[in-house]
Amino acid sequence: MANLSQTMTVPGQQDTPPEKAAIEVANLSHIYAGAQGAVPALEDISMSVGSGRFVVIVGPSGCGKTSLLMMLAGLRAQSQGTILCHGRPISNPDPQRVGVIFQEASLYPWLTALDNIEFPLSLRGAPRDERRRRAQAMLILVGLEGFGERYPHELSGGMKQRVSIARGLVQDPPVLLMDEPFAALDEQTRMTMGHELLRIWSKTSKTVVFITHSLTEAVFLADEVLVMSARPGRIIDRIAVTLTRPRTYEMMATDAFGQLRERIWHQIRKAD
Amino acid sequence: MRPRALPAPAKVRWAMLVTLLLAWELVPRTGLIPELLLPALSSTLKVLYQDSHIYWAALLVTLYEVALAMLIACGGGIITGAVVGGIARLRDLLLPVFSSLYAVPMVILYPVFTAWFGIGSESKIAFAGIYAFFPVMLSTAAGIRTIDPQFILAARSMGATLTQQVTRVIIPASLPAVFAGLRLGGALAIIGVVVSEMLTAAAGIGYLVTLNRTILDSARVFAALLMILVLSVAYYMLARAIERRVVVWQSVGRAPKAAQAEGGPGVPVAAAA
Ligand SMILES: Nc1ncnc2c1ncn2[C@@H]1O[C@H](COP(=O)(O)OP(=O)(O)OP(=O)(O)O)[C@@H](O)[C@H]1O
Ligand SMILES: [Mg+2]
Repeated sequence: MANLSQTMTVPGQQDTPPEKAAIEVANLSHIYAGAQGAVPALEDISMSVGSGRFVVIVGPSGCGKTSLLMMLAGLRAQSQGTILCHGRPISNPDPQRVGVIFQEASLYPWLTALDNIEFPLSLRGAPRDERRRRAQAMLILVGLEGFGERYPHELSGGMKQRVSIARGLVQDPPVLLMDEPFAALDEQTRMTMGHELLRIWSKTSKTVVFITHSLTEAVFLADEVLVMSARPGRIIDRIAVTLTRPRTYEMMATDAFGQLRERIWHQIRKAD
Repeated sequence: MRPRALPAPAKVRWAMLVTLLLAWELVPRTGLIPELLLPALSSTLKVLYQDSHIYWAALLVTLYEVALAMLIACGGGIITGAVVGGIARLRDLLLPVFSSLYAVPMVILYPVFTAWFGIGSESKIAFAGIYAFFPVMLSTAAGIRTIDPQFILAARSMGATLTQQVTRVIIPASLPAVFAGLRLGGALAIIGVVVSEMLTAAAGIGYLVTLNRTILDSARVFAALLMILVLSVAYYMLARAIERRVVVWQSVGRAPKAAQAEGGPGVPVAAAA
């Protein structure tokens, strides 16, 4: 550090990006080589997600949202284009940089809630007491204190998804990717979980990319909503959600909320 | 759903067992069934006691054969099942073959095995081993094939290496199916050994059944049957007990203390502060 600062650059990070973009996607395209010929899934996607922002992606079913997320997570290689995460390319899953939360909570049924949260830490051989301590902290953060010894089948859908969020957060990655995390939940639980997520997000200052089919959820959560076209997916609109934070349930009844929702709906209909 | 008045299933099962044993004792004694067809429990136990050295020796032979047959069936079945279930190519090619082989009555192979391995323990081990191999293998293959791909995707996203994916996800995820296969495979290994001993042998419990049947010594036949029964039940209970300890998350009847309120306990509903 000391000798770095003697050179004229900013100490610590290699060239801090001028815009604090957590994720930078440029001209990304993807073609699946399916059995019945090539399937173009994504076409020329470019997007930039500022650090600490909450970005929601919506779009018709099959437009490539999950595919895009998998590429952002380094779980699948894109055919073309680049993805930068804090200035560095993503080619392999890197749980220290990007946490992923899936639709099905995908918790391991043979592990307790606490062991599930510890799982990513134990993969890289973190010491036992450190694992416990961090997992316990996450459990408290997601409001499940005292439920650590339960197995997934002893938890409700909403609780499982909380554990899943805790597992995504436990390595403290700056970026969190969420693929329809609340889609399997009932409407009521879903809104509660959205509210919870915002509470957790405001405490942790993560960058979030969140996929959903629910327009209400999109407007309620987002700083910005990206609308994708039908396959091959392109980004056809970016809608800034200017509602103040913290978001409240009451906001959903306001005109501003309804207009935003309406605008997204309009774009999606055009897109389909 | 169930009315509270009904006694616990375990109690009912014990009651049934006691009734059965009582009937076994009393029915032949009343002369309802001649002792030649069904010797009383006490007569059976008596010869078992008198000839205990013979029965112990036979049991040891049978146990030895069963143990080796299980080793072949379980070891071979798990490894083959894992390979066949895990590799898509092999699965499509071989699984139909194995599944249809499973339907073949394996006993027809036994004469061939005696020709190959003689009438000693080797032919029993080989036959029972093959007989028990299929359920273990098919169950393991099915267990691996039906692992939720999401489990592996999640592991990859958390940075699991290939080895970790196998040891931390694939193996534990397939355990329930493997255990189900082992339970069935073990039972079939016992059946295979006993049946082959009954067909051609010079030792073992199955041999005692056949030997005493030809000289119409019913009590000794039933003494041997009783031992086989106890052996099978003991194996089953042991397998269940191990399974229950290892596959905790699958055991039904764990107190479903899940979820009171959806929101979970003590969740601060207030928004970000
Ligand atoms: N592994 C694959 N091989 C071939 N085609 C695929 C594969 N995965 C996805 N696709 C195709 O790519 C397209 C995009 O799929 P993707 O799952 O990314 O869509 P999505 O927007 O997430 O859909 P949904 O909203 O229903 O979740 C779909 O048409 C799908 O059939
Ligand atoms: Mg999807």
